[in-house]
Amino acid sequence: MAPLKHLEMENSIIDACFRDFCASHGILTVEDFLLHDLYELAAFAEREANADRLKEGITVMLSLIEVKCRPLLNGMELLEDLQRNKHTLSSGDNGADSLLQGGLREGQLTELVGPSSSGKTQFCMQASASVAEKQDGRVFYIDTGNSFCARRIAQFICGSSDAAALRKRVLSRISCHTVYDIYTMFDTLQGLEVALRSQVQMNVNEYRLRLLVVDSISSLITPILGGSGSQGRALMVALGYLLKKLAHEHNIAVLVTNHTVGAGESGKTKPALGETWKSIPHVRLMLSRDHRNSNCTISILKHTSMPSGKTVRTITRKDNQQCL
Amino acid sequence: METSRLPLSSSIRGKLISAGYTSLSSISSVSSTDLARDVKITESEAFEILKMANQISGSSSCNGRSSSLVNGARNAWDMLNEEEALPRITTSCSDLDKILGGGISCRDVTEIGGVPGIGKTQIGIQLSVNVQIPREFGGLGGKAIYIDTEGSFMVERALQIAQACVEDMEEYTGYMHKHFKASQVQMKPRDILENIFYFRVCSYTEQIALVNHLDKFISENKDVKVVIVDSITFHFRQDFDDLAQRTRVLSEMALKFMKLAKKFSLAVVLLNQVTTKYTEGSFQLALALGDSWSHSCTNRVILYWNGDERYAYIDKSPSLPSASASYTVTGRGLRNSSSSSKRVKMM
Repeated sequence: MAPLKHLEMENSIIDACFRDFCASHGILTVEDFLLHDLYELAAFAEREANADRLKEGITVMLSLIEVKCRPLLNGMELLEDLQRNKHTLSSGDNGADSLLQGGLREGQLTELVGPSSSGKTQFCMQASASVAEKQDGRVFYIDTGNSFCARRIAQFICGSSDAAALRKRVLSRISCHTVYDIYTMFDTLQGLEVALRSQVQMNVNEYRLRLLVVDSISSLITPILGGSGSQGRALMVALGYLLKKLAHEHNIAVLVTNHTVGAGESGKTKPALGETWKSIPHVRLMLSRDHRNSNCTISILKHTSMPSGKTVRTITRKDNQQCL
Repeated sequence: METSRLPLSSSIRGKLISAGYTSLSSISSVSSTDLARDVKITESEAFEILKMANQISGSSSCNGRSSSLVNGARNAWDMLNEEEALPRITTSCSDLDKILGGGISCRDVTEIGGVPGIGKTQIGIQLSVNVQIPREFGGLGGKAIYIDTEGSFMVERALQIAQACVEDMEEYTGYMHKHFKASQVQMKPRDILENIFYFRVCSYTEQIALVNHLDKFISENKDVKVVIVDSITFHFRQDFDDLAQRTRVLSEMALKFMKLAKKFSLAVVLLNQVTTKYTEGSFQLALALGDSWSHSCTNRVILYWNGDERYAYIDKSPSLPSASASYTVTGRGLRNSSSSSKRVKMM
């Protein structure tokens, strides 16, 4: 948290004298100030020689904090924001779109869960191609398993007219970044946040970032999770909230993939990363593929506005590959 | 002193440099709040500086185009062009090459698994020889690292395969001689063996240490184009009591292999054993190390017997359709199984 002395530059009232008074009560940072009993502090300030000045300092602090407070939104404003800024993006797959009533929602974190080779990466690449082609949005793809394949994405582009130019246009809207550990991941996301904030300020009218893909988030988190310490869990939650913050503030649909682990002796599987992570994604989809007849199914495990358990068959992407 | 390139007032620039922010990367890696605190400027000023630093370092990395949002991010269009030029390592079996899209692809981590005796080690040796086929013959002209955990690498066998490979190249030169003056095959089987860097690993601690060391080793030996681990599983199947820890260690190792593959544009081939897995009331064969591990590789190839014939099946790949092909292991190495097409195509 920010120490109090940084406020001095803009507010002369918070001088060394005021800070000394605060420090004598164990207040060194803005956070300490927020946690302290303010009536008690005011009562102590009365007894000091320069009581007026100190009390003025407290008032200034309170007003500063008030300004920094997040603005209030009422329900109507929220609804308006939803209708204006939070669109649904087609994932490029009719089955999934009908299941999700339109596709991936901007401002939400959607998680794909499934065993190995169930089509998670294919879903991510298809959604990237679809968003870049049909919604004119930019896509930021964070790849942790070297599985991003531009050639495969090019196969998902379905426009017929002027194929080469379209392909170039669509593909140049997708940028890919490889990340191999969680610390680089935080760096990347913070860099992205700065870039997005400066874009908003400069009022850049080019294509907006609409989809952020992380494939896969579990391979970054698994090496740090578990054991005795809780550090890994803290990083995982921090990453989840950073993604959700990005999604909310910049109206981005976030798509992450997670793998499955065995649950008990029965041979059943459940999503990895445990109960703590479970509360983070808005929407959780389970992908599965039957290896005998290669049917792909998607089912809802968790959704903010739909009952869980709905299932839909999708095109089998593996077989679909050659004809495109 | 990169900071001096930023269009800033001299007082702020002085403050930045005296606070230790001399390079652009040092600036762009901190948040604006921290920068403001360290340099004693207002947060909005710090934000402006960050923005400039990001713009400049972004534009210098991609030749003046401001197409990427974040440093290091690549555009899919550029990647497409690059992917098409990416070399692949042939397996000497054209049917297998066909389903692999031309061979084992560089920049990927490919896992190959199967029952004992199916030919995993043979594929490993074959690849460590084939990666050295010179560029004139459609190869990579690289070197190989062979990490042996089981002690199954047979040097006589490697020599045999190397001799066969040189003979094939000579035959190919003789065949092409009429069309253009191809140089004589300079390569000797001995040279091939010299360029296989062999590590024998006797415990999982050694294995982890070696994987951590590989980055340095490959920077010193630039031409390494394939890393073969035979097998990734061996030490991890016995010495571990804590399975959760095993998963953590393995997934970290997998990420390191990914990083190597990307950084040096080389192929990583992990050989894996099989185990039985209890699903839906019956025991089935599956690759070892469990569900979490199955996500750790880019491509997964499963080798199996079909009657008397050996088959390879692509179980997982982001870019290839699932398909299977048969192959045989001959005295000369891996070859097509059908007797009709004995000749190895090296183009």
